[in-house]
Amino acid sequence: MHMADALVAPVVAGTMYACSGAAMGCSIKKVRLENDPKKIPVMGVMGAFVFAAQMINFTIPGTGSSGHLCGGMLLSAILGPEAGFLTMIGVLLVQCLMFADGGLLALGCNIWNMAFYGCFIGAMVLWKRMMKNGMSKRKIAAASVLGCMVTLQLGAFSVTLETLASGITELPFSAFVAVMQPIHLAIGLVEGLITAAVLVFIYEARPELLWGYSWTEDRQQGGRFTYKGTVISLLAAAAVIGGLLSLAASSDPDGLEWSMEQVAETSELEAEGDVYEIAGQIQGTTAVLPDYAWKNSESAAGTSFSGIVGGTVVILLCGGCCLLFRFFRNGRNGTVRNE
Amino acid sequence: MGLNKIEVENLSFSYPNGNRVLTDVSFSVTEGESVGLIGANGVGKSTLLKLFVGLIDGYQGKIRVDGFAVEKKNLASVRKSAGYVFQDSDSQLFLATVYEDVAFGPRNYGYSEEEVERQVTEALRKVHLEELKDRQIYRMSGGQKKLASLATILSMEPQIMLLDEPSIALDPGNRRNLIHILNDIRVAKVIASHDLDMILDTCKRTVLLFNGKIVRDGRTEDILRDKQLLEENGLELPLGLQRR
Amino acid sequence: MSKIRGAIHGIHRADDGKNRKESLVHPLSRVLVTFFYVLTVVSFEKYDLYRLAGMALYLLVLGLWDEISVRDMFGRIFPVLLLTGMVGIANPFLDREVYWQTGRFIITRGMVSMVTLLLKGVFCVTASYFLMMETGMEGICYSLRCLHVPKEFVTVVLLIYRYLMVLLKEVERMMQAYKLRAPGQRGVHVKAWGAFVGQLLLRSIDRAETVYESMLLRGYRGEFTGKNRAWNKYASLCYVFIWTAVLICLRTFPVFQAVGNLF
Repeated sequence: MHMADALVAPVVAGTMYACSGAAMGCSIKKVRLENDPKKIPVMGVMGAFVFAAQMINFTIPGTGSSGHLCGGMLLSAILGPEAGFLTMIGVLLVQCLMFADGGLLALGCNIWNMAFYGCFIGAMVLWKRMMKNGMSKRKIAAASVLGCMVTLQLGAFSVTLETLASGITELPFSAFVAVMQPIHLAIGLVEGLITAAVLVFIYEARPELLWGYSWTEDRQQGGRFTYKGTVISLLAAAAVIGGLLSLAASSDPDGLEWSMEQVAETSELEAEGDVYEIAGQIQGTTAVLPDYAWKNSESAAGTSFSGIVGGTVVILLCGGCCLLFRFFRNGRNGTVRNE
Repeated sequence: MGLNKIEVENLSFSYPNGNRVLTDVSFSVTEGESVGLIGANGVGKSTLLKLFVGLIDGYQGKIRVDGFAVEKKNLASVRKSAGYVFQDSDSQLFLATVYEDVAFGPRNYGYSEEEVERQVTEALRKVHLEELKDRQIYRMSGGQKKLASLATILSMEPQIMLLDEPSIALDPGNRRNLIHILNDIRVAKVIASHDLDMILDTCKRTVLLFNGKIVRDGRTEDILRDKQLLEENGLELPLGLQRR
Repeated sequence: MSKIRGAIHGIHRADDGKNRKESLVHPLSRVLVTFFYVLTVVSFEKYDLYRLAGMALYLLVLGLWDEISVRDMFGRIFPVLLLTGMVGIANPFLDREVYWQTGRFIITRGMVSMVTLLLKGVFCVTASYFLMMETGMEGICYSLRCLHVPKEFVTVVLLIYRYLMVLLKEVERMMQAYKLRAPGQRGVHVKAWGAFVGQLLLRSIDRAETVYESMLLRGYRGEFTGKNRAWNKYASLCYVFIWTAVLICLRTFPVFQAVGNLF
């Protein structure tokens, strides 16, 4: 689910950074309003917990192992959506830097796909709605499974959209969606079951830790399992999933695909246009390199020989300089140490 | 009065669920004195230490630490003069490197960066960890972590040190080293432990707790030699005294 | 199990790289340049393999200059290659226009775009790996503070980094204890899912509470203040300007060709 840097175009990455950044700003504001200094260390340790818990292999009857524990949903069920979201961002940042899961540029996308939906759709909408009239084991389990499945579907769909908008793959939209959604439906189910098992355990051991337990206390918790909330959420989820699947299966997906391509193309062209314009101006004024056909890449293939020679020379030159520098630096340090 | 670093009068405490932990405890610790706090598991040693620094509130009676009554408005002063060393060093040390962690306290108390550096160097010198100041904490051994935990407290120049099971999970060499270091630090100390041999080597005076009450308060030598008393209270003669 | 070991080793190595020496360059400059590099790499057109390859120059110079060990680079590159490969694999089949031809040997545009994609993936991962080796997590957190990222968030990241190792080792111990009593199971059995992770979660929360107490006892009032190490201002500025200029050149001019034409 982690997108790599290579899969996003700068425009898409920037947009997603802006979206995620806005959500992060709101969350920070909310966490500050709560003004609970204890929250920060709990968030930090819980972030590390999600990390560690993702390393556990779960035997899934029939298949291999699970990808990720549904971190967003689990964290939000304990910390509340805003703090859970911030913690997930921290986890994603550390993952991206220390383990190369996702990339710096794609971080904005990853935050959106993996943290935003889990924390805000999964917890804020589903969990909150379902726990409003008291908690119970069945409701917790239902909310976890549903939450994970819905958020993974949304996440996978966003991955598809972002990749296509970046103009990376030649795959048609429908094929991509048809691959992504069912896979993530299965993953979501497994993750949801694990999350459910964990949250039910917590509910039995220390229910006061769960987000939203306090609002239900005075309402005589352990009340009946209310079907209404569940049914509404189930219907909503079914509508979303069904919509996506039908979109994927539809024989005429051209509307969306076409518009996507339009968007991708124009934005890319604009970006390129700017760079070329500036470059052109620079070239015009300096006129160092008058006759390079750097505008079309096809003819570049023809003049490849000089390019290869040049590349070799530049690389050797730079590499040699570095090695020389290193030699002198280490030599100097060595003498200093000897004195 | 000013000499007493800790004064406890008629202290009683129960947890909110009604569990009574301490009943009518009174004792005091004077400047530079080391007091061992012994007793079986669950007799309230840790609770007592936590009450001293206001980590738990809602007690009856009086506690004064370095002249300050332990109540909400004095907590900052109380915590500056009393340093608490947790049993688990991984909880005590929450920053990435030793230097950063030892500097955390002084920085929070508004020392300038030069002062912070001086305090940290001095604290690390006392526990012989100068060379490890930039070491990542997760790379250190249990013994080194324990010493680093001591340094995080020493850098705030405490008047009293409260130690919760300092020798637990240390090998004999590290344990001996810790004892030497503790004996070299000349501030008042309260050491809660069931490592009676260590208490024998570090504290002149011992307080024996049982079921939330002080059973005996006196010279360590006398208490730790009293086989019957120790066994009645869920302890046994320290090894160092068994053979003699 | 190997997954956990792998993660632990990964963290160790990332810290090794940083411990080797003190850098003159402010971590923020490194973050900015790396970000700009990734941006530049990604902005290349999908058939622009030729000039994209020139971007390797940055990595080469940085790697040699800072003496970065490339020992576990390949372990990081492989999953990214796999991911980008999966996305790009369709390109050679769907985009069969001829890009270049000698005799019967044909390179289609689809092949070029796929290789470009793979190369972009490799370059980006390598760049962020180098960043990590040069600055370490603390350096990155420090630059985040310089960029005015809220302190609450930066503190959370620092704590995640600190407790990552503690909890990873705890999970490793738990898994070992579990496996010793459940021979022949590849992972945690369905029945134990909740209890296994739940226990870990409860312990983590308890630990968080002690950590909070420990912070409180040392005067924590909701803020971490960090050390302001002396970085060389001029070196940092030069670093940013020189690299930005070089990257812009590499992006806009076919520098290699120009040099080649001199011969």
